[in-house]
Amino acid sequence: MDALVSVRNLKAYYKTPDNQDVRAVDGVSLDILPGEALGIAGESGCGKSTLSYVLSLFVQKPLYIKEGEVFVEGRDMASFDEKTLQREVRGKVISVVPQGAMNSLNPTRKIRHMVIDVLREHYPEMSPREAVERGRERLEFLGLPPRVLDVYPHQLSGGMKQRVVTVISTLLNPKVLIVDEPTSALDVTSQKIVIKLLLDLLRKKIIQSIVFITHELPLLRHVADRIAIMYAGKIVELGTMQEIIFDPKHPYTQALIGSVLTPEPGMKDRKVTGIPGRPPDMKMPPAGCRFQERCPQRFGRCGEEPPRVNVGGREVLCWLLQNEPASELADASAR
Amino acid sequence: MPKLIDSAFARYLLQKILWYVLAFFVAVALNFFLPRLIPGNPVAVIVSQMAQQGVQSAALERLYATYMAEFGLDQPVHVQFIRYLSGVFRGDLGTSFMLYPSKVSDVIRSALPWTLALQIPAILVGWTLGNVLGAVAAYKRGVFDRTVFISALALSRVPYYCLAIILVYLLAVTWPVFPVAGGYSFGFYPEWSLEFILDALYHYTLPFLSLVMVAIGGAAVGMREMSIYELGTDYVNYAKRLGISDAKVVRYVFRNAMLPQVTGLALAFGTMVGGALVTENVFSYPGLGTLLFSAIRQNDYPMIQGITLMITVTVLIANFLVEIAYGFIDPRIRAAQVGEK
Repeated sequence: MDALVSVRNLKAYYKTPDNQDVRAVDGVSLDILPGEALGIAGESGCGKSTLSYVLSLFVQKPLYIKEGEVFVEGRDMASFDEKTLQREVRGKVISVVPQGAMNSLNPTRKIRHMVIDVLREHYPEMSPREAVERGRERLEFLGLPPRVLDVYPHQLSGGMKQRVVTVISTLLNPKVLIVDEPTSALDVTSQKIVIKLLLDLLRKKIIQSIVFITHELPLLRHVADRIAIMYAGKIVELGTMQEIIFDPKHPYTQALIGSVLTPEPGMKDRKVTGIPGRPPDMKMPPAGCRFQERCPQRFGRCGEEPPRVNVGGREVLCWLLQNEPASELADASAR
Repeated sequence: MPKLIDSAFARYLLQKILWYVLAFFVAVALNFFLPRLIPGNPVAVIVSQMAQQGVQSAALERLYATYMAEFGLDQPVHVQFIRYLSGVFRGDLGTSFMLYPSKVSDVIRSALPWTLALQIPAILVGWTLGNVLGAVAAYKRGVFDRTVFISALALSRVPYYCLAIILVYLLAVTWPVFPVAGGYSFGFYPEWSLEFILDALYHYTLPFLSLVMVAIGGAAVGMREMSIYELGTDYVNYAKRLGISDAKVVRYVFRNAMLPQVTGLALAFGTMVGGALVTENVFSYPGLGTLLFSAIRQNDYPMIQGITLMITVTVLIANFLVEIAYGFIDPRIRAAQVGEK
């Protein structure tokens, strides 16, 4: 299967005012496959939102791409000029529901104007009336009341705002939808409704793939096909939902799963533990494995750059798994 | 969808009007009592001036008594107050002490056009240029922004009289390009002739410049701050990530950043005469500011009351209009006005 979006050895850094690099994303390779729901999970500051900026081809100062490639349906992002990215890619091929969707709508304009602006920016020949009609149809198709078009953002509840933003983000039928922390500001009931809407978009083929960026593993347990675990700018483990949630291999993944409280059957006797220590300073990450200082299974080789090991199809970035019968994925992906 | 004018809004409007009427009465009372706290008796000043002209002392005493009765100053204060109030409602602001027997309303009427002609264009031009400059600075950043910001900040903090005096010194004394003072040259009389208008414009330049520069500074600093804030908001980021062009996003931003600036404009109109006082004095401009200044110096109660009443009414009307207008340009304020959540 050809990936819709893929990144290869991506290094995306922030330039600080004193000209230092903050290595938010530091050597990530990832494919977004057609039809999948991909989860990207990790602590605050692990680089997942930065990755979402790059995946949505929205790289603005002080963020810049230090190294690596981003391909959209096989085309190198570097070959697009800014105008093409803006008109033909953003919102149309790759769209986003940003973190903080609560404040994502212009407070002094009615929802209909945002609908008109999004549609007419990409289809200038469309009349405002047609645009509103398209918005109305889409809202009805997804079970939202069309009257939201005629109100201001402050007149909507939090959950409704999140759903309206989701609908606006998918008006142009983007192939990939990237959702950044879709549920963190919502109560449990609203969370459920928002998740249902997102999965509906996938099921009704309005979008082809969805990427959930979140710190909530229990959410991914219910929605994701594959999960990538990020730590300090790197993907430390990438596998299917089953593999990651029920059989984590990387010590960080294990620690992360261990620190989450889930009301799952068979898990009620499990003790919830935290992860001691703090993530490293991304201006000066340690040499070798970035988790080593907090890792309970640390040993001699952790000071060297860990290998990307293929364990039965999944990728794990850890020396511990080097001994198991596995081939280095780095060679395989060199192709 | 809410109608433009509904019953909740009508209720809000009524409440506001009552509030403004109350404020008006308080201000009218202050206008009356505050000038009377200035030490000195205005009639004594007038009579002593006559004494210098050689009027006999017996006559002076009669004059004194006549003037006290004429101005009503021999009455107890509360009687004077009631007379003043009833005068205000009949549109009679009384007789000026210092320009006796001119009516206060006539004197104000001849001075007001000068102040309005100086202030309104200065405020509007300064506000508009300042906002454009601040917005562009916020959008461009870099050297342009730093230059605009520092000069705007400096200008907005310079007292009116300072800038006025510097301008007079540079452009009227050192290089005598413009006249030092006055609204028109000696020998002219205000009339609608081309010659007079050109002469008035010539005298107009320096006071206008001094006001405009301060106004540009204030508006630019405020607009720049607001625009930088708005440019960093989530809705701007979101619109860009959906591929909406910069040109359109910038329009969202500046509309929203303008909202507090509208209040600033109303306040500028409100404090117009106060601000004019000093500028007009520096240039001896024949407006309300100069008039108020001499009225205060000579304890001309009716004149002070008349002018401060004008100021009061201007401030109240400007504030009222802005409060109402704000509801129409910002839906969030409107929601608060009609008591929606």
